[in-house]
Amino acid sequence: MVYGRNLFKLIIIKIMNVSTKKEAIILSSDHNQFNENKLSTEYIIIVQNLEKSFNSVKAVDGISLKVRKGELFSLLGPNGAGKSTTIRMLTTVLKPSNGDARIAEYSLIKEKDKIKPFIGVCPQENVVFEALTAEDNVEFVGRMHGMNTDDIKERTKILLEKMNIAGRKKSAKSFSGGMKRRLNIVMSLINQPQILFLDEPSAGLDPQARRLVWDFIKDLKKTGMTIILTTHDMIEADVLSDHIAIMDHGKIIAFGTVNELKSNSNNGNILEFSFSSRKELIQAKNRLEQITDVKNITEMENNKLIISFTGGVKTLKNEILGKIESFKTLHFREDSLEDIFLKLTGRGLRD
Amino acid sequence: MSTIDLKAWYIAKKNIKEKLKNYSSMFWTIAFPIMMLIVYKLAFSADDGSYLINGLTTFDVEFPGIVVYTIGISCVTSAVMFSMSKKDGTLERIDAMPVSRGNVFLGAVISEGVFMNLQIILIYLFGYGILGAHFELAMMPIGYLIALIYGIASIGLGLIIASFLNSPEGANGIAMLSHMCLMFVSGSFFPLDNVSVFFTPQYWVKQVYLQLTVVGDSFSDLLYSGTIITPTSVATFFPIWSGILMILAFAAIFIILGIRIFQKKTTL
Repeated sequence: MVYGRNLFKLIIIKIMNVSTKKEAIILSSDHNQFNENKLSTEYIIIVQNLEKSFNSVKAVDGISLKVRKGELFSLLGPNGAGKSTTIRMLTTVLKPSNGDARIAEYSLIKEKDKIKPFIGVCPQENVVFEALTAEDNVEFVGRMHGMNTDDIKERTKILLEKMNIAGRKKSAKSFSGGMKRRLNIVMSLINQPQILFLDEPSAGLDPQARRLVWDFIKDLKKTGMTIILTTHDMIEADVLSDHIAIMDHGKIIAFGTVNELKSNSNNGNILEFSFSSRKELIQAKNRLEQITDVKNITEMENNKLIISFTGGVKTLKNEILGKIESFKTLHFREDSLEDIFLKLTGRGLRD
Repeated sequence: MSTIDLKAWYIAKKNIKEKLKNYSSMFWTIAFPIMMLIVYKLAFSADDGSYLINGLTTFDVEFPGIVVYTIGISCVTSAVMFSMSKKDGTLERIDAMPVSRGNVFLGAVISEGVFMNLQIILIYLFGYGILGAHFELAMMPIGYLIALIYGIASIGLGLIIASFLNSPEGANGIAMLSHMCLMFVSGSFFPLDNVSVFFTPQYWVKQVYLQLTVVGDSFSDLLYSGTIITPTSVATFFPIWSGILMILAFAAIFIILGIRIFQKKTTL
């Protein structure tokens, strides 16, 4: 009875998944090519063979990418993948060891000072002047961008209100981590940058604040601002990004829209089993290994098993569920960004 | 971004606001020198002045040492400020904005300069006004200027220390250690008639300041070789104006070296 009800649910989900796949866009095949003519009209950032080495360690290993004007581009990767180093190079604070980038039509190597007025940077750490108030912090950044008093006041008020930190007269030292994070974002926006670099903007935020930041980023995108985001939060990347580049060991190992990455992963469908005991899990695993349509089996904590398989509902009904005698729960879902990420970057812990 | 403009003033304004809210820094800047002044006054109050020249008391002669100590604290505060900016990422944040390092350095000199002036005024008020240290009024402006130039040298030394240390705690410790060592080696705290004194900026500052503003010598008079003026002190062949040149040279060397080393160490 339970088996029949679950199967019905799975069929409904499967039908819905098929319809969402229609939205998939063709993978941008030209992201590694450098085309000067397209630069001013289509791309605001073109990175070509960018490298950064620290002694003998290559933190960024010859990456090339293009970012369209007005898009939200995410750099996704595990810790130590080279995301932040890439951002630090693109924001002119770190000199590349090799390669170049054109940002807002200027060369990163030869004209980095001309790039600075066009960009806003929200670093990974909460970089605020702790002894100053939120308003003083934002005003200081505005002054550094050569803004006048009226513009600074007007824009500071709007931004602080949007980020829910307006009217606080105490120094930033007394702010919570989340408030400092939001203040960081405001500081990066005071100069109305054409390109905004957000290095893990929602790190350390509670779910409410994270939603606030996401909504804010979505609103920014609507204004035509180009946003470069680094994150290892899959949901964040999924929700916000137009294009995603997955980085690991200093290289870009995958690129595309979320749907493109999913459709190109060849993971098929995902089933998550949980079992009452380890004995049950081992039995099920042994049987699943004999099914040719099962592509990948991963053991998780708490007697959980995640499998990816091809063949859709037919395989599920005839092959998989026919061979698994007992399980506690079963969850069927489409391949997620996290699955793709783990498939590409592996499960080993990073620094 | 090599130009210096109004942004230096905004950086200075920010630095001043930050420092005013840093109570430990304010203690070292203002309260500690006043405390030292009172301790010196109490320690030397029983002195009959019999071994000194022109009727000057030990407190009168040691007062320039307090001025040197007070202004030299800028080495500690600037080392802490710059190492903190490296550690907390604010320097990198400023680097990503359209503002030159020249503005950052000038901003630091302006903000430290504001506190230096405040320190000198307070020390003068306490030392001359309340505790009655002897001074020659005509030479006071030049004494004030010497103190400020030495302050710039101290900022340079602080920059050099901050270049090698990322932790403000470490910078604080090393800067304070070097400042105190130089104070003793230069004979600024206690008399030290040794050739090593010539290699410290503190010696030249104290000696020139002492002879001009306390003893009332003129620029062309000779410097004494010792760090305290007694009837047995021997005059060198250096005139006082050459001492001023030495102070300027130390200030120039320290600030140029400081900027160069800091730039080299922090330009990634």
